Amino acid sequence: MNIELVLFGAFALLTLLSAGLVIFAKSAISSAMSLVATFFFLAGIYVLLWAHTVAVLQVLVYAGAIMVLFLFVIMLLNLGEETSAGPRLTLSRILGGAAAAGLLVVLVMVIWRIPAPTTTFTGAQAVASGFGTLPAIGQVIYTQWLLPFEAVSLLLLVAMVGAVVVAKSRI
Amino acid sequence: MDLKQFLLQLRLDPSALWLIIALPLLGAFLCGVFGRMLGRANVYLVACAAVAGSFLLSLSAFLSVSPLEAAQAVTMENAFSSGTIRYAFGYDFGTWFSAGTFRVNFGLMVDHLSGTLLLVITGVGFLIHLYSTSYMSHDDGYWRYFAYLNLFVAAMLTLVLADNLVLLFVGWEGVGMASYLLIGFWYSDTAKAWAGRKAFVTNRIGDFAFLIATFLIVLLVSAFNTQATAANFSMVGGNPEAAQVRYREGLQMKGPVAFQGLETMANALHVTPEKAQGGVNLQTPISEGPLEGRTFGGVLTVALLLFLLGAAGKSAQFPLYVWLPDAMAGPTPVSALIHAATMVTAGVYLFSRMSYLLVLSPTAMVTVAIIGTITSLLAALIAFAQDDIKKVLAYSTVSQLGIMFMGVGMGIFWAAVLHLVTHAFFKACLFLGAGSVMHGNADETDIKKLGGVRHEMKQTWFTFLVATLAITGIVPLSGFFSKDAIYHGIHHNHLHGYEWASSVIYYMGLLIAASTAFYMSRVYLLTFEGKRSPEAKIPHAHESDWRMTTPLWVLAILSVVALFQALPLMPGRGGVMQPVMENFLGPVFSSAERIAARGGEVKLDHSVPSIIDYLKAWLVALAGGAAAGFMYLKFFPSRAGQPAPAFARSVRRFTQNKFYVDEAYEFLVIRPVKNVSAILYKLVDTLLIDTVAVRGTAWVTARLGSALRYVQTGDAQAYAAVMALALLGGAVYALILVMK
Amino acid sequence: MVPISYYLILAAALFCLGMFGVLIRRNALVVFMCVELMLNAANLTFLAFAKQNGHLTGHVSAFFVIAVAAAEASIGLAIVIAVFRSRGTVSIEEIRTMKH
Repeated sequence: MNIELVLFGAFALLTLLSAGLVIFAKSAISSAMSLVATFFFLAGIYVLLWAHTVAVLQVLVYAGAIMVLFLFVIMLLNLGEETSAGPRLTLSRILGGAAAAGLLVVLVMVIWRIPAPTTTFTGAQAVASGFGTLPAIGQVIYTQWLLPFEAVSLLLLVAMVGAVVVAKSRI
Repeated sequence: MDLKQFLLQLRLDPSALWLIIALPLLGAFLCGVFGRMLGRANVYLVACAAVAGSFLLSLSAFLSVSPLEAAQAVTMENAFSSGTIRYAFGYDFGTWFSAGTFRVNFGLMVDHLSGTLLLVITGVGFLIHLYSTSYMSHDDGYWRYFAYLNLFVAAMLTLVLADNLVLLFVGWEGVGMASYLLIGFWYSDTAKAWAGRKAFVTNRIGDFAFLIATFLIVLLVSAFNTQATAANFSMVGGNPEAAQVRYREGLQMKGPVAFQGLETMANALHVTPEKAQGGVNLQTPISEGPLEGRTFGGVLTVALLLFLLGAAGKSAQFPLYVWLPDAMAGPTPVSALIHAATMVTAGVYLFSRMSYLLVLSPTAMVTVAIIGTITSLLAALIAFAQDDIKKVLAYSTVSQLGIMFMGVGMGIFWAAVLHLVTHAFFKACLFLGAGSVMHGNADETDIKKLGGVRHEMKQTWFTFLVATLAITGIVPLSGFFSKDAIYHGIHHNHLHGYEWASSVIYYMGLLIAASTAFYMSRVYLLTFEGKRSPEAKIPHAHESDWRMTTPLWVLAILSVVALFQALPLMPGRGGVMQPVMENFLGPVFSSAERIAARGGEVKLDHSVPSIIDYLKAWLVALAGGAAAGFMYLKFFPSRAGQPAPAFARSVRRFTQNKFYVDEAYEFLVIRPVKNVSAILYKLVDTLLIDTVAVRGTAWVTARLGSALRYVQTGDAQAYAAVMALALLGGAVYALILVMK
Repeated sequence: MVPISYYLILAAALFCLGMFGVLIRRNALVVFMCVELMLNAANLTFLAFAKQNGHLTGHVSAFFVIAVAAAEASIGLAIVIAVFRSRGTVSIEEIRTMKH
């Protein structure tokens, strides 16, 4: 039993727990806060995957920026707890829920059947090549993925303008 | 002397040949598009100038191929053999289209045959344009009329100038379209629009046959190209191997449908296996392709018979002649130009152009001659009892075209072409005269309601009389000589295996000549002689103006002068004097002569008619005319109101109804087609297509749509649930695939 | 050393939880949050495979996913605000204009 497995188990359990809370919480605020927690635990798992930079981004962008946006909106719309106890049971909900559960079963079955890969990439190599560090990722982004990167920046600009246009009643 | 020098210098550069076609085409464009803007006078000017310019260019082209001094005769390089073509010139404007080894060039060519026709088309065409400026002076559609007329001239010139079958077909279709447009010119009158449609549909049947024949010719040429040996080309001239190589080069350069190539092939095809020495002959089976196993001669005969059907459509021969009498619905000058002088002679031109192929097949020749005879006799008999002056002339045209076909079929090509020319003059004159009579008599066309016009329309009367005498065949007018040249040729030419045809067709010809004299005299007498009918629309006729009488005079003079072409003035073979036209067209028909002499399938005669022959023909014509005169002035005073004998009336009724040919077609062809169409309409169109296919699919879609409507709840999560289910399904499917 | 399949099973569970939420929750905001969960599940797979192969492209993809998620959240929330303004609710059940 190594420490990595213990950490993974703990983070995975907490992630799933808080994700469940996101879904089943009564009020939107509780959901949002659970989601922030989920993101934090996920960031931990990312670190286990040697993805420090993404983990930091996860906390900064997701848990920081995006979730703040959510909370602002919730505050703006002044949403309290839902009036009814839970979602009304309709045929589509039952079918959808069953589909989601079924998909989970299928996926687990598939993943279980994947033969254990022989890992050639070791921690020593990762440290030597600076795997997952900001300079290494920057190197890849600005050489191989420059055009998609610029496209993403354009997308963000469009989203910004779009959000203003959609949300504002009069410009 | 100066004039001669001037004429000698007047030559058309071959590369400018396209201008002959382009001028009327430009005229058609200007009149058709800007006609209303230009105004009446300008349209007249443009249309007439276009044809006049085309006439001048044609004249210079004609002078180039037939110079006044023999030393200046032009020759043209033959693309398919090492020899040259004398008295001809042409220009190849390059490939029009090609597919694989098939190729069609845009090539124009003038020789003595097409040169003659060029002059007829543009010359008579110009006169009729001039005439039309007066005839159509009260019609608001003048610009449309002149656009169509110019378009027709352009198409007809394309037909004549083309140096291959496909380009000729372009002209062939073009004249058909112009004819359709002009017959239905007054389209607001339903009957006239229908007449145009009838002409078009009838022509389409012929055109279809023409196309199939062209395809057969293409296949035949490619089969010949693969199977021919050097032995074939020993007759073409020069070294046989070199000649074959040259022929192949020619095929690559100009394609299989060029007339030069067809001529070379006809020259190279042996008639019988005995003389072939292993080369391809008419009895050789084709070794490959869709015609595998058929003989060259058989395919050629079928192709020629299909060409005959095509020519029968365009030239109004039995059984497709029915459109021409109805075509009189068009304006009279149109009838004169298209349905008498030029377009309807396209079939005669086609067979003259391909005379070298025709003489290879006596079967096809005798069929052409028999069709011509049947048509001619039938039309002449129907013309007996028609009361509409234009209808009589229309049937007369059909009859005269039949005579030309008789001549072509019996191998007397030059006389057929001569008759084509003279007929163009006198029949155009007759039609224009009839138009003038109608113009001066408030559009009255019933000859029984005319009469006595002679005194009021002196110029029309005189020119009409001259043309009537010409068509009747009275010495010394051109019609006599041209018709008699055909009859003489029919009598003395022999087709191998069909020896009986010569005399049978000859005597039928004499009967036709007598009938012609009869009905023409009748028309003339009823229209111009006697007293004015009390039923006339207006009490006094008036003479037409100069623009209408000038063409009449020119054409009348031409129908007299044209007789010199039939006089034996030129030194021919063996010191015998030849008729001018035979000598003139000699180079065009030399291949046909050579093939006929070599194969012995067709015996072509070159003797000149004797005085006895002339006398016989003259007496026949005179007898017919006299009979008409006697019957209509004395015995059949049909106008005086006295009843005719019963037998005469029933005969009259029968002929008046055109032998019920239209009714027979109605009963045998149109009614069954209509019934089958009606069944198909009800079963296939209404039931299967409309009800089941079109409305059925719409009905099912609508029902399905309204049933599925309830699925559209507008609930985003329901849609997402469907997506999730589909995703699950896909995942399960992938899992099953992986598990296997 | 944790096997990659553990990470993948975690990602699958997260994805299915997110999907479950999308399919059954009524509040549009919570639905959006669940979409974020699904996106994170995808990210997790990317990173797991990146570690497996020692290749940084997975990290770049995750980076792009985060950027797209930010864009999506801003537009989506703007739409939620617009809808709330016009209809006074964010309940998906009550926003049914595309109806038969």
